[in-house]
Amino acid sequence: MRRLVAALPLMWLGLFFLVPFLVLLRISVSEPAIAQPPYLPLFEWADGLLTMTLNLGNYIFLAEDPLYLFSYLSSLKIAAVSTLIALLLGYPMAYAIARAPTGRRNLLLMLVILPFWTSFLLRVYAWIGLLKANGLVNNVLLWLGVIDQPLVILQTDFAVYLGIVYTYLPFMILPLYATLSKMDGDLLEAAADLGARPAVTFLTVTLPLSMPGVLAGSMLVFIPAVGEYVIPALLGGPGTLMIGSVLWNEFFLNRDWPVAAAVAIVMVLVLALPITLLRRIQAQEES
Amino acid sequence: MTDPQPLLRIDSVTRTFGDVYAVDDVSLDIRQGELFCLLGGSGSGKSTLLRMLSGFDAPSRGRIVIDGQDMAGVPPHRRDTNMMFQSYALFPHMTVERNIAYGLRRAGIGRAETVVRVREMLELVQLDKLAGRKPDQLSGGQRQRVALARALARRPKLLLLDEPLGALDKKLREETQLELKKIQETLGITFIVVTHDQEEAMTLADRMGVMQEGRIVQVGTPREIYEFPRSRFVAGFIGTVNLFDGTITQDRDTDAVIDSPQAGGPIRIPHAITGTVGQSVTVALRPEKLVIGRAPSEAHDNHLSGQIRDIVYQGGLSVFHVTLDTGMTVRVTRTNRVRDEGAAIAAGDRVALGFSGQSVVVLPS
Repeated sequence: MRRLVAALPLMWLGLFFLVPFLVLLRISVSEPAIAQPPYLPLFEWADGLLTMTLNLGNYIFLAEDPLYLFSYLSSLKIAAVSTLIALLLGYPMAYAIARAPTGRRNLLLMLVILPFWTSFLLRVYAWIGLLKANGLVNNVLLWLGVIDQPLVILQTDFAVYLGIVYTYLPFMILPLYATLSKMDGDLLEAAADLGARPAVTFLTVTLPLSMPGVLAGSMLVFIPAVGEYVIPALLGGPGTLMIGSVLWNEFFLNRDWPVAAAVAIVMVLVLALPITLLRRIQAQEES
Repeated sequence: MTDPQPLLRIDSVTRTFGDVYAVDDVSLDIRQGELFCLLGGSGSGKSTLLRMLSGFDAPSRGRIVIDGQDMAGVPPHRRDTNMMFQSYALFPHMTVERNIAYGLRRAGIGRAETVVRVREMLELVQLDKLAGRKPDQLSGGQRQRVALARALARRPKLLLLDEPLGALDKKLREETQLELKKIQETLGITFIVVTHDQEEAMTLADRMGVMQEGRIVQVGTPREIYEFPRSRFVAGFIGTVNLFDGTITQDRDTDAVIDSPQAGGPIRIPHAITGTVGQSVTVALRPEKLVIGRAPSEAHDNHLSGQIRDIVYQGGLSVFHVTLDTGMTVRVTRTNRVRDEGAAIAAGDRVALGFSGQSVVVLPS
């Protein structure tokens, strides 16, 4: 019984991650075709001969066309910068919530989670309304006399950063809050008692001890941000290059499933490598 | 108390939380090099007082002066005091060595000197071999010593210890008490120890202050506090005590008599007492000052009689609960000097209790 319970998450992962991943892997090494489905089978039986066709051309194609490399790099950059901004914004917020009196703490946590009560898509559309040329932000700035012409905010990288940071900020705040609220207050007093100014206490005690939260929050923001499609599609401009959009184009516009699958496989590898590396470092530090 | 400039002067310090007086008009002088224990139950204000000395809390009224400097408005990180926390509060992400070095680095002491002083501290608390360990790889006793070393490393003028031995088991606690006292004597640093454990206070302290409801009710050496408590509270808080209510019937220069219905007659005291004839008082008598026997002995000037209710054998000591003829139950302790001594008197036996009038303390009711 206990084994069964322990096996459940593995079964879940197997069913909803490993199997689709293998299907994707299989598509990524097949030849595209104008058919239903739009790729050729891996094995062929003809005249007593079983042939297996492994087409690595899709991967070679990815390597040759700089569009893909640029998209990956640009996605990683946008995700990394967004993660950093979310960390810089989320840390003080999580810290303030963790230090707030118990009653108010629950209210503040509620407020952090509240946006999830509305559809993600609706919230991104709402940003369009706020950011467009005759939107709320521009109108207020014009009315205040700060600017005399509407700013172009929508369809820029700035809008993409704004959208990603806005959307994923709760995922940064919650794990940070979890580690910061567990922090032993005596440690901070001990540091002060031993002559550390508040800033020094923060750098030498609070920050190092909250690293698990920093890492968890950063992962929770960075990983989905790399593959983000909706936000760049709605808020970004033609210059916004992200791998999620490339993937969508390959699947739905070009109907080149093998190349699209190859794009997805490479993205998983690009993300999986640093994560495993990070986990190994963490495991080493713990032992 | 006549010291013109004590190391620490607590001058009419009061700390209120709303309507509650956590610390109520406390004045206390502590001399350089003293080991002073603040003893009190939970909520007596001893920890609040300690937090005001370390700077984590501020007096509502009154002054705290350390080595001539008024501490008002001085934050904890600028005070020449260090604190050993009850929880030890060791930094879990640092090794023993770095924990001890933490305060030294903050004081701007150079790397080379820090290494030397950390070494000294490690030797002092006998942890040289564990310098590279993290706190969670240490036993409770080892953690306690790291906390002590870390607090001592800066050589503070005043070391504040909050229940320093509270988390240790009894045997280790007794060993550590002596070690702590030895370290204090070696370094000559003034220690203020907060504890709720009266045995610990008696063992450690040069002087101690007993706190009750935010006030210091008595200050003195452990001997003074034990032998001459000034109130029923102090008498009952430090050790155990038998209390007899009575009335002064005679008070002369050479002797006094207190009539106590609870004791079943007059208690004779061979010296003058403070009080007037007719005043209600309480006579306090420690259990070890009562001598138990089959018949009244000539050696004592006061006698009680009763019946043994039960005997608690504690190894080195036996505790007798004796119900007096007046109905009151008293505690008597006797060291088990001879192995079969306890067997001579059994529960239900009638006994005579003798004591010297010199040994009692007369307290205001």
